[in-house]
Formats: sequence, structure tokens, C-alpha cells
Amino acid sequence: MTAKIEARAGESAAEGRDAGRREVLQYALRRFGVYLFTLWAAITVAFFVFRLVPGDPMNILLGNLTRAEGRQRDKAAEEALIAHYREIFGMDDPLPLQYVNYLRKAVLGGLDLGPSFVEYPAQTKDLVFRRMPWTIGIFTTSVLLAWLVGTVLGALIGWLQRSRLSQLAVVISTLLQITPVYLVALGLIIYVGYTWRILPAGGPYARHLQPEWTWEFISSLLTHAILPMLSNMIVIGAGFTLGMRALMISVLGEDYLTFARAKGLSPFTVLKDYAFRNALIPQVTALAIIVGATLNGTFIIEVLFQLPGLGTLFVQAMGLRDFNTMQAVVLFSIFAVLTLTLIVDLALPLLDPRIRRTA
Amino acid sequence: MRNPSIVIGLIMLAVMVAVALAGPAFLESTLFAGERPGMRGSYRPYQLDSAEHPIGTDGDGRDGLMVFISSIWPSLQIGVIAGATSTGLGVVIGFLAGYARGRLDTLSRILIDMVLVIPTLPLLLMLAAYIERWDLYKLSLILGLFGWSFVARVIRPQVQSLRERSYVDLAVLSGENALEIIFLELLPPLLPYIGYVFSLSIVGSMLAEAGLQIIGLGAGGLPTLGFMIAKGFRESVIAVGLIGQMALPAGALIYVFLALNLINTGLDEVFNPRLKTTVEGK
Repeated sequence: MTAKIEARAGESAAEGRDAGRREVLQYALRRFGVYLFTLWAAITVAFFVFRLVPGDPMNILLGNLTRAEGRQRDKAAEEALIAHYREIFGMDDPLPLQYVNYLRKAVLGGLDLGPSFVEYPAQTKDLVFRRMPWTIGIFTTSVLLAWLVGTVLGALIGWLQRSRLSQLAVVISTLLQITPVYLVALGLIIYVGYTWRILPAGGPYARHLQPEWTWEFISSLLTHAILPMLSNMIVIGAGFTLGMRALMISVLGEDYLTFARAKGLSPFTVLKDYAFRNALIPQVTALAIIVGATLNGTFIIEVLFQLPGLGTLFVQAMGLRDFNTMQAVVLFSIFAVLTLTLIVDLALPLLDPRIRRTA
Repeated sequence: MRNPSIVIGLIMLAVMVAVALAGPAFLESTLFAGERPGMRGSYRPYQLDSAEHPIGTDGDGRDGLMVFISSIWPSLQIGVIAGATSTGLGVVIGFLAGYARGRLDTLSRILIDMVLVIPTLPLLLMLAAYIERWDLYKLSLILGLFGWSFVARVIRPQVQSLRERSYVDLAVLSGENALEIIFLELLPPLLPYIGYVFSLSIVGSMLAEAGLQIIGLGAGGLPTLGFMIAKGFRESVIAVGLIGQMALPAGALIYVFLALNLINTGLDEVFNPRLKTTVEGK
């Protein structure tokens, strides 16, 4: 698409501007259509994955309970329970009908995803909404910070590619990048949290506090957020650093950089306006690709740091075989990943100066 | 195959495999002759490091080193089986999607993108809730089933780019059918890239397995490195002073990832670098 737009640059200015605007609008609309379709399709896939897995969650739950309690099974009561459960969840209906009901309730019923087991009779929707800010907060802040730090560091390392320091930085970032997020998190919990006792390593804020707008609470919240965010940032940031470095080095080989230097521009201007800007666009695309994988990592981090986010909710729900809640968490993660990807994709033409010139 | 990164990576990996395969038997015949170091209750639990128990004993009264050494092989197996599953599936789907044209091509792209964005961890956990008896193969296959979309996503543009080359046109003109073109013309030049993707898939699978273990929802009881780390964390072995029981399995995981990363870097260099940039530019 950019090529088309570039080709148009030669045409008259007004016509070019209109065409460019139309093109950007078309891109945005098409992208939004794909977004809606993907959302629907992903929800459908998730729904059928849940239903087609063999085994009845209620049976497993009761089986575990009986084993744990060591009592004899009361067959009749058990069957009545299972029947009641199946009725509540509409599991006796044929699969297509279940699916249609599910979609209808979710879309037209104001995101009605059924009651939860974890906090019966609270609505699954409310549970998810209460937990979501934690996940989204930790996730987006750490990814964005990691992206910023990684991009700047990577650009510098790429720029100074022959120095000892940048070679050392490459080795360190490679090592950090291959280290799993949870190992970094465990290391931080064990050493920074418990052995050296520098920062708190568990829970969302100090136990004796209540959520309120006081400095004490906010500072406690922030200090508790440092380690979980740092674990995410270290690993993702290292990846972004390496990616940006590679992009930077490939840009540095281009002729227009040699020309810019020959013009006598200061090295900083060349770095900032010529090399950095051109390496930036693929780096933003990389941001969109990493979103899904990072959400997985964030779930694990929440569990390790005992933060009340979606990951922890899911683990609780799993312990109780809470069908509805698990499904809702999957649904909302799909929604979050798709929406974040959409935002990045839509921001892309705005960042690309070749498109902005004509639009 | 004269690439130094590949050679170093392969040697590192070979060392790990040798330790994993020969280690348990070696330990049993030398350090623990006549004992049962891997049996629960063989020793007093939580003993500190000593000449007899180099990294102490664990909470179940087993020798830590023995547990560590015998955990390596299952971890590697999971990585390879799951990696092979997802690479196999992904290559097939990626080739079909890359070779198709028109509407089928658009449809397959949307399908791949769709599966790619479904967060795998909750679905994996979900499945973990249903399956009562886990074994290594079940776990590996399920991990593999969730990894194909990434493989298909990166293979598809490679196939598309190769398909446009003039030598493929020549093959079409000389009357080769679609299967011949795929297997004789398109697959061979992509082999190093498929190796690269395979190695990435192994890393991904081992990563996911250990992650599941660490949040306590994995295949409980499967003696993997992830399980040992998770157990060590739950029993706070570091506070007791048994750092080795967490540091060694963590180190082993990172070591394997480093070896695979080196192989990857090498394969990447072997593979046509120009094709690589087109993928990343997408």
C-alpha cells in the first residue's frame, strides 16, 4: 500500500491528498472488518474447544471431592447435582443451540456470560471486569516501557556497533531474551523480595491498607508493582533491544545515510532523523506481534506475585472447575489481544511519514 | 554446516543429551553405589550440601542431584515431541496456505492469524483441567497442537515468495504437478528455515511446559526441570540454603535455550538472508 501511495506523490497535490485519505480510510475500515471477523471466529473456536473436550467437568469435580473427603458416593444425590448443573449451563441442548445461545447472551445480553462458581452468584462478567485492570495495567505498562527502553537502547547499540560496550550489551540481551519470564520473576522474588528484602514480592499492596486515594496506598501499590513489571520488562525489553539493533544495522547500510553524512549533518541528526525513524516502523509492527505471547507471561507473573488479575482468577476458577469463569477469561484475553493488535495496526499508518505526507 | 554457531550449539546440546541419558545410571553406579537416590524417603529430607549429596536432598528425601539429572531427559523429550508436532502441522498448513491463491489464500491467512492471537495459556490450562491422568506424550502432543499457528504464519510468506521465482515457473511449464512442485522445488530450499522454526518450537514448548509447572497446573508428577523448579519454589528451598536445587534446573533450561538459540542464529545465517528480511518486514 505504501508503494501505491508513493507512486501517487507525483500527481497533483490536492488529488493526491484525497486519494491518500481515502486509502487510509479504506485501510482502517478493512482492518476493522478483519478485527470483527477474527474476534467472532476466535470466540467460536474457543467455544468449541471448551465443549468438545471429553469428560464432564462436574464429574471430575465431584470425583475429586469424594476422593478428598473419603466418603462414600451418594449416587442419587450426585446424579441430581450433575443434572441440575447441566441444566443451569444449558449443557443438555444440542451443541449448535448452545453456541447460538452463548453468542446471543454474550452480544445482546450485555456480555452476560453466566454466574460464576468462584464467587457464586456473582456474575462472571463482574468478576472479570474487577480483575481486568490489574492484568491490563501490568501488561501494557511493562510492554510499553520495555518497548521504549529496548528501542532506544537497541538504536544506540546498533549505532555504535563496533564498540566493545555494544558487543557486551548484545551478549547480555541475548542471554536475557532467552531466559523465561517466570525464571526472572522467581529470581527477583527470591533474591530482591525475600533474601535481600529490598522490595515487596507478593500481593497487590500492603495487607493493612484499603484501596483509597491516599499517598500511603498509592506508594504501596507502586512499590508492589515494581517487581512484576520489572520481570516482564527485562525479558521483553531485551528482545526489543536486539530487534531494534538488527533493524538499525540494516538501515545503516543504506545509501541515503552515507549521503546524509556527506551533506555534513551532525551525527546526532543523522541518527535521530534518518536512521532511527526508518528503523522504527518494523519495530512498531513487532510490538503487535508480541502482544499475545506476553499476555501468557503476564498470567504466570500474576500467579507468582499473587496479584488479583485475570491469570489468578483463571487459576482459582480452574481449581473449582468453574466453567463459565474460565471461558470468560479466555474470551476477554482474546478480546484484549485482538484490540491491542488493532490499535497498533491502526497507529502504523500515522507513524509512517510516507503515508502522513499524502494523508 | 561449517557455521560455528551451529557447531557450538550442537555440541552444547549433545553434552546435555549425554548427561540426560547417561547421568542417572552413572550417578547410581558411582556416587550412590548400592543406594536408591531417586526413591522417596531414601535419605533425611532437606539435608544441606555435602560430599555425599552435592546439592543436598529434597523434601521427599531424594538426592537433589539425582532428581535434577533424571529430570533433564523428560524435559527434552517434551520439547522435541511437541516441537515436532507443531512444526509438522505448521509446515503442512503453511505450505497449503502459501501455495493456494485467491480467496483460499485470504481465508487461510485469516485463519492462521486468528489461531495465532488466541491466548494459548488459558486454553492449555483448560485442557489440563479435563485430563485426569497426564503423561509425557499427552502433554507434548497438546503443547504441539497449540504451536502450529506460529509455524504456519512464518512458513506461508516464505512459500509465497519462493512460488514467484522463475525456476518454479519453469517447473510448472515442464509439467510438474502441484505435489512435485511442493516437494521437489519448494521444500528443499526451505529446509534450513524449517530447522530454524523447529528449534524455535522446541524452545516454545519447553518454555510453556515449565511455565505450566511453575504456576502449579502442569502435569503434576511428571519429573521435568520445570516441576523441580516449581517444587523448589513451593518448598522455599533457597531459604533452607539449598540454592542448587533451583539454580541447577533453571540453569539447565537456560543452557538448552542458549544452545538452541545458537543453532538458530547459525541456521538463520545459512538460510538466504534476503528472504528473512521480507518475513520480518511483514
